[in-house]
Amino acid sequence: MSSATVKFQPEYSQPILQEIMEKSGQNLLSCYQCRRCAAGCPVSDEAGVTPDRLIRMIVFGQKDEALNNLLVWRCVACYTCGERCPNNIQTAKITETLKQMSKKAHLEALSPKIASFHEAFIKSAIDNGRLSEMDLMMTYGKKNAQHELKKGGGWKAVIAELKGQAKLGLALYKKKRVHLGSEKVKNLSEIKKLSKKAEELK
Amino acid sequence: MKIAYYPGCSLHASSAFYDVQTQMVAKRLGVELVELEDWNCCGATSACKTDNFLSIALPARNIGIADASGLDELVIPCSSCYSRTLVSQKVLADNSDLRDTINSELTKKVSGRIRVLSIIELILKQLNSKDFSEKLKYKLEGFKPACYYGCLLTRFPYDIKIEDNVENPQGMDIICKKLGAEPVDWNYKTDCCGASATVNDADVALRLMSKIMKDAIARGANCIVATCPLCQFNLDAYQDMVGEKYGIQRRLPVYFITEFIGLALGISDKDLQIDRHLIDASGLLKEIKQV
Ligand code: SF4
Ligand code: SF4
Repeated sequence: MSSATVKFQPEYSQPILQEIMEKSGQNLLSCYQCRRCAAGCPVSDEAGVTPDRLIRMIVFGQKDEALNNLLVWRCVACYTCGERCPNNIQTAKITETLKQMSKKAHLEALSPKIASFHEAFIKSAIDNGRLSEMDLMMTYGKKNAQHELKKGGGWKAVIAELKGQAKLGLALYKKKRVHLGSEKVKNLSEIKKLSKKAEELK
Repeated sequence: MKIAYYPGCSLHASSAFYDVQTQMVAKRLGVELVELEDWNCCGATSACKTDNFLSIALPARNIGIADASGLDELVIPCSSCYSRTLVSQKVLADNSDLRDTINSELTKKVSGRIRVLSIIELILKQLNSKDFSEKLKYKLEGFKPACYYGCLLTRFPYDIKIEDNVENPQGMDIICKKLGAEPVDWNYKTDCCGASATVNDADVALRLMSKIMKDAIARGANCIVATCPLCQFNLDAYQDMVGEKYGIQRRLPVYFITEFIGLALGISDKDLQIDRHLIDASGLLKEIKQV
């Protein structure tokens, strides 16, 4: 995918730019397009968009493009771009912000598997106070299957995915690396309080 | 010496043997690890991707427990937990409003006194003591590890200073040399293994790991050594898949740094549970020589 042509739409640019700058804590206006970030981004091949492009889209007010590109989802939060940026811009904080904004706007995630994974992870972490790997894989698997069926992949796609997981699961089981139980934090009410606060602040 | 210890969820599940090794090695080195009471999940990268408040508040609860423990230092072997805890500590030091908001929900408040250490930092502190050399019973001769640091030991999304070199860290290399191993010089020390993408975005993760594997092999490494349970898990459990997809014939065992030190200290491979690797890690053990 080649990155879309960037159009300047001043009447749209300010609100979205400001929102993302505030939420991500990054000063996007200091980007001078040197592309050091692009040179180091390990997912640029698969994402088709590099950090500098994403920043430009936002600065130019291209809200839809900014929310709907694969860098938002495929960013692995390796922090290479931010480490090398002469202006300390952490694109991982921008992609995090865009993921949250897209969820809030009820947009369909461009990579539903990635979205489901992180939601399942945080659910398990909050439910028990500690992550249960089993819980995570079950919730994630279920969400995935639902999505696969909805988009018309059919049971075949679901079963193929499950087969792959089962094969690895078995190998892990043999090496005693599968943990079936789950641990719970004793003071779980404190975790619930934090999660309630998080909802209030959203 | 007593140090607070945060194992994190991985070390209580798929990487339980890393917890066992860490505790055993620390004990041999004269360090008593005191596990944080009733610790919780740090939220890892998933919290950042879904909820900013929780990404700071979840580690903050652990920091509060550590701050109240009366101990000065907290060691965190998992890179993700280490990174998230440092970030939370930094954000709360800079943002007193948020600190007050979070503290008002916590029984044990964040005060900011605890110093967070990675496992490398913990070991490096022992390395320079005189009796460390005396404790070494075996030499890891014949081990040519590619020391793999991954993303989160040196790069942070906030201005956090560490002592090691960010792009070419040396901590693990120094430890390996001290144990008689010969770490190779290579390019992918701090590249990303894909983290959770192995599960949710396999194409990306497999390609990233293929680059790591190819460079390690090309540089003459006969094993990889890591500190992060997720990096170890990915490179160990998915290495066959990576090899098949990218035509890489060789397989390299992926050790934890605690296995290296444990072996050098004379702990048996059985006690270290080295049989839990997916890529056989026993072959190289024959090379170990008595000091
Ligand atoms: S490295 Fe920084 S300044 Fe340069 S293009 Fe990337 S974000 Fe902009
Ligand atoms: S943090 Fe994300 S955007 Fe930045 S280099 Fe890594 S993958 Fe690319």
